[in-house]
Amino acid sequence: MKSLTALIKREYLEHRGAFLYAPAVILVILAVIMLSGIGIGRFNAVAKVGVISGAKGFEFGFLALSALWMAYLLAALFFYFADAFSADARNNAMLFWKSMPQSDFKILASKMLAGLTVFPFLILCALILSGVVVFVGVVILLVTAPGLTTSDPGAFLASALNILAFDVGYLVLALLWYAPFFAWVGLLSTLFRRWSIPLAFLIPGLLGLAENLLFRNILAAPDAGFVLSYLRHRMNFAVGHEDIWASMVQDGTFNAAALYTRFLSEVDWSQLVGGVAVAFVLVYIASEYRRRFVAT
Amino acid sequence: MNDLAQTTPAPIVSARGLRKQFGGREILHGLDFDIPPGRIYGLVGHNGAGKTTTLNAILGLTSYEGTVRVLGEDPYAKRASLMENVAFISDVASLPRFLRVRELFALLTNIHPNFDPQKARGFLEGTDVRMDARIKNLSKGMVAQLHLAVVMAINAKLLVLDEPTLGLDITYRKRFYRRLLEDYMTEERTLLITTHQVDEIEFMLSDIMFIRDGELILHMQMETVSGKFAQVLVRPADVDAARALKPIYEETRFGQTAMVFDGVERERLAAFGEVSTPTLSDLFVALMQRGPK
Repeated sequence: MKSLTALIKREYLEHRGAFLYAPAVILVILAVIMLSGIGIGRFNAVAKVGVISGAKGFEFGFLALSALWMAYLLAALFFYFADAFSADARNNAMLFWKSMPQSDFKILASKMLAGLTVFPFLILCALILSGVVVFVGVVILLVTAPGLTTSDPGAFLASALNILAFDVGYLVLALLWYAPFFAWVGLLSTLFRRWSIPLAFLIPGLLGLAENLLFRNILAAPDAGFVLSYLRHRMNFAVGHEDIWASMVQDGTFNAAALYTRFLSEVDWSQLVGGVAVAFVLVYIASEYRRRFVAT
Repeated sequence: MNDLAQTTPAPIVSARGLRKQFGGREILHGLDFDIPPGRIYGLVGHNGAGKTTTLNAILGLTSYEGTVRVLGEDPYAKRASLMENVAFISDVASLPRFLRVRELFALLTNIHPNFDPQKARGFLEGTDVRMDARIKNLSKGMVAQLHLAVVMAINAKLLVLDEPTLGLDITYRKRFYRRLLEDYMTEERTLLITTHQVDEIEFMLSDIMFIRDGELILHMQMETVSGKFAQVLVRPADVDAARALKPIYEETRFGQTAMVFDGVERERLAAFGEVSTPTLSDLFVALMQRGPK
């Protein structure tokens, strides 16, 4: 366990640029843009949605930024896995890592775990800080701009905690849902190094094309064929979006508990569990390839 | 018989019929050798002779045919656990550049059970390598010093060095080997080293193996080299007579003919000129010549 933790920390040290420094820069830019927008009067709730409470305005802002941070995380993780699974070979360091008494599976598992724990946690921290930025912006707007009615501090706190609770749950499930895709690009990275990114799309694309050209009229396939239809379904984790929107525009505080009930019922659990198992198998295949064939 | 069995220690490395193919071409042709503990072995050969492939098989980095046992284990199947007692530096290996020296030591403390960070710090004393330095900012020589400090701080039974001083200047190279000999080697440890600069390691070797085109052509203890091989600077008048004793190598140096003999008594050779023991590099040149095809 100690060695696994150390290997995960190594991943953090190597890849913190995309998950620590870049989000910090984005936060600063975000704060500057928000304050500049407030300064030149770009935020006018009356003109856009009518008079709303300060807490509701905060919810709009925090949820919007939550969505952006999650999109950033998923994109950054895709590139992380495309790089990390072959990064040990960078600057001829592979033989150094091979001289350590750690199995290739453990090393790749540490990369997978870092991608599913440490880096999302860092983005979650950035998300919380962006909530603070939004809060500060709303407080300034309460004083300077029309369209927001005052809310007590408890309402702000309740909104923040509810959104955060929902974000954490959504994030955990989204990461597990997309785990096989991350493992897929990781496997390709082990096999083909920097070509993993185009191949991650090219291989399923070619499979879909082959299916459509060769078997389309033979099998009772759905539109675009089995492969592409399945991947379209599997790529989309758009569960509960209507509910989120409804909860956001209602008068009361954003209610994470109520959303969870409906949200969890929409998750395709068999696909999620099966996907995690597939991710495990893909990481194992990558580790065996690395053990047998990657020496430099 | 029993006494022999009790006093002969089990070999650290044992290879039987070690073969390796790349793309249908056989690179190693069935090597057989044992490396006992406490020895300093030099594995010497031309580029492409199979040195690194042999080392890779010993380190579990490549598959092979035949049997290889390191500390009694199959290295290809048990590489990870074996590395607790085996350390190596490869000619192409480099330390991870994104780490600071301090971070590297902290990491190794947790992932290598036999790594001692205090020892590693001690080995770096007197060098220009600072604990806060980023590895990517160190010079090549400093990285070599750091890498050596790392492997010497690992309490390993077998240390494998594959061209560890490649690209370093003579000062670093001499310091590297002196440090290794003075601070690391003990009776319990075994060192297997390959290098092209054979003269620089000759003083420290206990055993030598020459590999040519995937075959071991020489495997013997250094102290027996002088009993088997002799070099004579033959006087011009005696060249023909000396040739009659079938030297394995002959060359002209500054007008003198130097011949290397295998298994000819020194008393007979003394009649032709000054007899000496060939240096490893002389022996290497003599034995590495490929015969006519």
